[in-house]
Amino acid sequence: MAEKKTKGKKKTATAEAVTESAAESQETGRTTGEGAAPTGEAKEDFQALQRRREDLALDVTRAFPDKYRISGEMEGCSDAAKIDLLERLVRTRTFDARMRRLFRQGRFEGTYYSQIGQEACDVVIAAQLEKTDFVGPSHRDLGASVGKGIPLTALAAQVYNRVDSPDGGRYTACHYWHPEYWVMQPSTSIMMNWIAATGAAFGFKMLKKKGVAVAFGGDGATAHGDFHEGCNFAGVHRLPIVYIIQNNLWAESLPLSLTTALTDLAHRADAYGFPGVTIDGNDVISVWNTTRKALQRARGGDGPTLIEMKTYRWFGHSDIDPADYRSEDEVEDWTERDPLPRYVAWLMENEVLDEERLEGIRQAIRQEVEQAVEFAEASARPEPEAFLSEVFVHEYPGFDVRAGR
Amino acid sequence: MSAPERGGTTTYLEAIRQGLWEEMESDERVFMLGEDIGVYGGAFKVTDGFLDRFGEGRVIDTPISEAAIVGASVGAAMMGLRPVAEMQFIDFISCGFDQLTNVAAKNRYRWGQATPIVVRGPAGGGVHGGPFHSLQAESYFTHTAGLKVVCPATAYDAKGLIKAAIRDDDPVVFQEHKFLYRRVKEDLPAEEFVVPLGKARIHREGRDLTIVTWAAMVHTAAEAAEALAADGVAVEIVDLRTLVPLDEEAVLTSVAKTGRAIVLHEAPRTGGFGGEIAATIAEKAFEYLDAPIVRVTAPDTPVPYSPPLEEYYLPGKDDVQLAARKLLDY
Repeated sequence: MAEKKTKGKKKTATAEAVTESAAESQETGRTTGEGAAPTGEAKEDFQALQRRREDLALDVTRAFPDKYRISGEMEGCSDAAKIDLLERLVRTRTFDARMRRLFRQGRFEGTYYSQIGQEACDVVIAAQLEKTDFVGPSHRDLGASVGKGIPLTALAAQVYNRVDSPDGGRYTACHYWHPEYWVMQPSTSIMMNWIAATGAAFGFKMLKKKGVAVAFGGDGATAHGDFHEGCNFAGVHRLPIVYIIQNNLWAESLPLSLTTALTDLAHRADAYGFPGVTIDGNDVISVWNTTRKALQRARGGDGPTLIEMKTYRWFGHSDIDPADYRSEDEVEDWTERDPLPRYVAWLMENEVLDEERLEGIRQAIRQEVEQAVEFAEASARPEPEAFLSEVFVHEYPGFDVRAGR
Repeated sequence: MSAPERGGTTTYLEAIRQGLWEEMESDERVFMLGEDIGVYGGAFKVTDGFLDRFGEGRVIDTPISEAAIVGASVGAAMMGLRPVAEMQFIDFISCGFDQLTNVAAKNRYRWGQATPIVVRGPAGGGVHGGPFHSLQAESYFTHTAGLKVVCPATAYDAKGLIKAAIRDDDPVVFQEHKFLYRRVKEDLPAEEFVVPLGKARIHREGRDLTIVTWAAMVHTAAEAAEALAADGVAVEIVDLRTLVPLDEEAVLTSVAKTGRAIVLHEAPRTGGFGGEIAATIAEKAFEYLDAPIVRVTAPDTPVPYSPPLEEYYLPGKDDVQLAARKLLDY
């Protein structure tokens, strides 16, 4: 790890810059990184990936030396699907950056949790799911909802805690979900979703339905007992589930070294009898190929897979956290490993994308985001007494939540 | 062990077993999971024979993982199933507390998601179980909005209420009193019956004094009432059966009639559900009272192990009689 420096006022990157930037990043020369890219891993099978993880140390600069370039092939992914994936990634980033700015402008109450930097980890797998597949997101998984196709209007209303939020303003901002899209409401209590998604996978199996479940958690969450109980249960029953750990190196302010003595969290899977792999979570190709295999395993009855994705959150735990516990060098190094420009550059190299098309996508998405913001701002605030209902499905005579008044 | 026979003299335990069996038979969405419930038939044999009849797809022996038992139940319920989770002892529910109080209880409220799960298990003292096998855990859950809490005292209610709990679309904590498992029995009807949640029952009618109670303490109250009857005191016993939903009307009606109220429970006093009953009476039936409301409860300690200690811990017939005398002399 680079020597720590206290992070100064200098910002090495901003969300806005990147939102504007997928193309500009090329202009600033980011496509010419040196060193061997992890070209081999996309073609390797799971066992090989597992063996390979021995080489993947905590220091991703060693394991994944090329900051700016990715390479390989996206297996079973048409050009149209590659562009669709790009759109979902840009949609996630653009929405997130816009919401951050609106939060700082005081346009909505509460707090804001930015996912910027980690988008590839959940967008890429969510985009591969059927609508009725089950997603158990954590509190930093905007991309799981955008990736699965939930309209930005619903997500913006959720951030604004207005009546058009799927939860009508009852629940904390950025805990994105939608019942019609089978994305469960994330939990503030860490790892609740991990076991609930495990239970949903159990339900798929019992009902002999063809679905899979995907659960998301962070590096810090793997210290929680529920991580163990969920994984262990899924291993015993060979459940159709893919577990994603987004290892962004920090559990709020806690460095990974104080969460675990492991360097690679994928090792934890060994304890549960299913494969665990570590990949560069900011490499869309690697994430695509690995999650695709894991989903195939789940759908084919081969049981769970644990995928550790090394990634980085650019900003604080929430937007009131200046995140000055991290060194400037670390932040700079990681923001340069931005999954979006890397993917854009690769698409352009492979002539799947050109400047004009990219610009078209960015324009359209900016407009979509603005419409979502307008929708949220126009959405009514909930009536004060609207929280006094639906504690139970079946309420009963004499039950009166107003008794406390 | 074969299918339970309906009707005839039935123990509290067998009544629960019957209720579970019938719901498993009639609704294939119902399944059970818990520690040692399959091959072993459960620590108290409540699920004996279920594995043979319903198979390992619906009777699931789980790892020692209460959080996973409750959490997997929540997830499976989201998929349309109706899980019945067993806590080997209700004390161990603390290991699944987050899944129960933060996930299951709040699902409906947070996002409209129904969570039709039952978390059932043996509760209560009197069998020398010590600090980890004797808990009456109801107050943790009556204080959690979104959970229903059931505490049957009789075989009839145990059967009828477990069926109602399984059919309910909300999460239900079902406390079976282990002291009653084989000590309480009665003739049950051969035909099917369900006892609705939220309806109290008058265990014994009387005009002089009301005892509001639930679970095993209903029988302690009955012993005290019998002794008091010899002196011409007519005690009315209100068995709440379910604490959430609470049948407030039954409590107030009885107190309005007798003018004196004892609230009796086995759990420790401070923060116990008895305080809630006492406050409700004070707020809504004060003008009917001829004497203060009195609580008879366990002391604020864990449940001790050694028989003389536990006997002292548990409220007994004499404690209730003493309280009744005070009220009558007030």
